[in-house]
Amino acid sequence: MKEDFNIDEMLNGLIDGELTVRQQTEIQRLIRHDPQVAQRLRQLQRCKMLVGALPRDEAPDDMLERVKASLERRQLFGAEAGDFSRQEGAKHLLGRRLLAVAAMVGLIIALGAVIYSIVAPESVSEKSNLLRRETGRIAAKPEHILTDVAGRLVTAATFRGRLELKTADFTAVDAFIRRAIEENGISEYLGSTIQNNKSVYTLTCGRDKLSSLLSDMENIRPRFNSATLFVEQEPPGNEIVIPAVRPLQIAEIIGRNDYQGRIETARNLAVLNEVNKHLPAREILAAADSEKPASITIPKPVLTSSEKPDEKSSRQAETGEKMQLIIIVAGGQ
Amino acid sequence: MRSETANINIDEAVLVEQCRRGEPAALERLIIKYQNRLYNVILKICGNPDDAEELTQETFVKILEGIEGFSGRSSFYTWAFRIAVNLTINHCKRGQKLVTRSIDAEDSEYNEQTKAQLRELLQDDGSPEPTAVAQNREMCRIIIESLSKLDDTQRAVIVLRDIEDMSYAQIADVLDIELGTVKSRLSRARSGLREILEANFQ
Repeated sequence: MKEDFNIDEMLNGLIDGELTVRQQTEIQRLIRHDPQVAQRLRQLQRCKMLVGALPRDEAPDDMLERVKASLERRQLFGAEAGDFSRQEGAKHLLGRRLLAVAAMVGLIIALGAVIYSIVAPESVSEKSNLLRRETGRIAAKPEHILTDVAGRLVTAATFRGRLELKTADFTAVDAFIRRAIEENGISEYLGSTIQNNKSVYTLTCGRDKLSSLLSDMENIRPRFNSATLFVEQEPPGNEIVIPAVRPLQIAEIIGRNDYQGRIETARNLAVLNEVNKHLPAREILAAADSEKPASITIPKPVLTSSEKPDEKSSRQAETGEKMQLIIIVAGGQ
Repeated sequence: MRSETANINIDEAVLVEQCRRGEPAALERLIIKYQNRLYNVILKICGNPDDAEELTQETFVKILEGIEGFSGRSSFYTWAFRIAVNLTINHCKRGQKLVTRSIDAEDSEYNEQTKAQLRELLQDDGSPEPTAVAQNREMCRIIIESLSKLDDTQRAVIVLRDIEDMSYAQIADVLDIELGTVKSRLSRARSGLREILEANFQ
């Protein structure tokens, strides 16, 4: 069968004048010696002749006009379609660009907020603002009282800060702090419970007493749900916010000998604590902390001399460097 | 026939360049020059005059729309016929079943005299006259309808070769197939056409 097709191809090539001279010689010799091949050649020739003899059909006379009309119609519709497509495309492109710009702006804002919260922690964070709004009215009153009653001491203070604590165990924590203040002989403090579950202590005292108080407060740190320190710096109203602050960190700040040193330490701690908030091991550290004994041991006052504590404190306050710390204890998570 | 093709090749470069520049007169000349040849090939492949008119019109539109992108790697002549044949074969594939039924229904309408004449033409010892065939409308109808029973691609090859008188190389260019494929396809087409024609009087 394949051989027949090959012979047919050769015969067709011969008919169509598509063979090389050598192929022509070969097939012509085959035709001369094989009558069947010769007959097949004539059959194929007649077939070709029949098709080739078909009359030539001519295109309709108006073909030119029809093509022109079709072209004009297409150009018209094409132009309209093109305009529409361009408009739609431009809208789509504009929409995509706006979306991209919005996404970029959003990303920049988010990144800026993160960077700002780390690099410039002195700004008040939203969380702190919420807490401040919550306690603002409460804090305002002691400030006012402080100005009226202890204006002289406030003016003299070289450290001014506000420690905002939140605890689920308000009664115990508040009692502990109240007792610790008394036992550390901080007589020049103004403290009052404004409402249930909220207490404000405005302390103005020497550095040693305040450090001792903070050292005592470290014992109940696990009971704090949150602890944020706001350190006031120049100009007034410009605060450094230290999240998740530990009492001993506050002691570290006030332990510095000058204003600049305290501010620098406060800033460093603000960055450090902010970074720690985002560390993955924080949960582990928190868990480790939670394993500490949760019992609160309230230190009892111990008299070490015949002097009354109040008298000693008053003398320190008048002669030493004054520190002002407002402690706001709020119940809740 | 060969000389006609040669004339097309000589003129086509100038004509195509003028058309690419958008000269309206050149576009008209192009249409006038090729309309009959394209229409004839299209009609012989699709078998329906109305369809052939539409397809010829569509072919010219596509040629003129695409002439700016015509690279010149092949000749304009084969490029134009490639568009025409592709459009026509695609059209045929869409309406193939309908056409076949129509031809089958008309088989019994051929008169006996035409069948006898066809038999003589296909005999070895006959001496057919092409003009006589062309003047016999019934005979032409049998041939065209027999052509339509071939596979679309085989029909296209045989029409391009025996009606348009293209060379094997040009057919390969138009159909975008190998030269060997043209030979085998043409061989099968002629063999198959003869069998179909013989079936008319057996």
